[in-house]
Amino acid sequence: MVSTSSAAVDRTSAAGPALVVEALKQAGVDFIVVLPDQKLARLHDLLEADPFFTTVTVCREEEGVGICTGAFYGGRRAAMLIQNGGLFVATNALVSTAIMYEIPMLLLVYYAGDLNDRFFPTVGQYTEPVLQALNIRYWVPREAHQVVPTISGAAVLAADAARPMAVLLTKPILGE
Amino acid sequence: MKRYDCLQSIAALVGDAIAVSSAGGVTLEWSNVRPSDANLRVRTLGLCSSIGLGLAMTLPRRKILVLDGDGALLLNLSSLPTLGWQRPPNLIHCVFVNGVYEASGGGRNAASANADLVAIARGAGVPYAVWVETVEAFRQEVAAALDRDQLSFIAARVEPGVRPGLKSIETQAVENKFLLARHIERTEGIQVLAPAYPQH
Repeated sequence: MVSTSSAAVDRTSAAGPALVVEALKQAGVDFIVVLPDQKLARLHDLLEADPFFTTVTVCREEEGVGICTGAFYGGRRAAMLIQNGGLFVATNALVSTAIMYEIPMLLLVYYAGDLNDRFFPTVGQYTEPVLQALNIRYWVPREAHQVVPTISGAAVLAADAARPMAVLLTKPILGE
Repeated sequence: MKRYDCLQSIAALVGDAIAVSSAGGVTLEWSNVRPSDANLRVRTLGLCSSIGLGLAMTLPRRKILVLDGDGALLLNLSSLPTLGWQRPPNLIHCVFVNGVYEASGGGRNAASANADLVAIARGAGVPYAVWVETVEAFRQEVAAALDRDQLSFIAARVEPGVRPGLKSIETQAVENKFLLARHIERTEGIQVLAPAYPQH
């Protein structure tokens, strides 16, 4: 994070990250577990700077499923902000904690290797099949106007269905 | 030293602490010495310390007792630097070190060789971390940790084995969720579970 701070000045002013923040507030999601990715840096900065959110940076994504689970029992709505490679790391905990115990959580996953994203094409290839195999519903907002209703809707659905729900965040949406 | 005797020595001390226990014999033994809706049985190996962190951060007035195993903790060692960063003062992380993967065949783990879990916890930033070798020392350390208001890590060297003749756990996973969530709602005065059918 520190090493990217000088690049922050040069980043585009695309509205995507601010829209994600707005969506989380609308849905009452105020507890965020993060494992940073370069493409998530602007969004991460916004979340950390906003006192509405409690943010916890983890060392490995599987921990994050546990922390979100604990925060659920503490009465909070929780989300994880991770890369899709990290989604793969978290699968064991998603299955034997979040899904098995019916714990709601929102997975905000940077979609590396998506069309026109030249980072990690292999990870991109397996992202949607892994979510399908886990029976985790997911959405991919492509236009700015879809960001708020998709993310806030997925968060509310996670609480109502008592399951994890995922939203894949593409490079253009993240403004990178 | 036996794990069961350690658990029995603290059952009356911990009051209404929420206990998050690792998959394996520790959960069976704990649920026998302290049957309670405030117990959470964790099925993902190693995740109890992370679940405990989420609970401790969101329920800061409540004591959170994590009952971990060495094999489980080795699988989620990265939870220690995260705990050492957040340092929740209301969390007590107990690890029973028997040196083997007890629930999965009894093979040796790295804690039986050259890895020192207390040194790892200290190095990860956990402000208070100790080894205990006797049941009485374990009881005293847990009692002190309950009073201390500082993240504490207590590693107890125990012999392998689960106490025979215990009552098996009848509670199902989702039932465990509802019992704990309702218990927290009652005792903390908060809402955990979303209202059913919010529009009606």
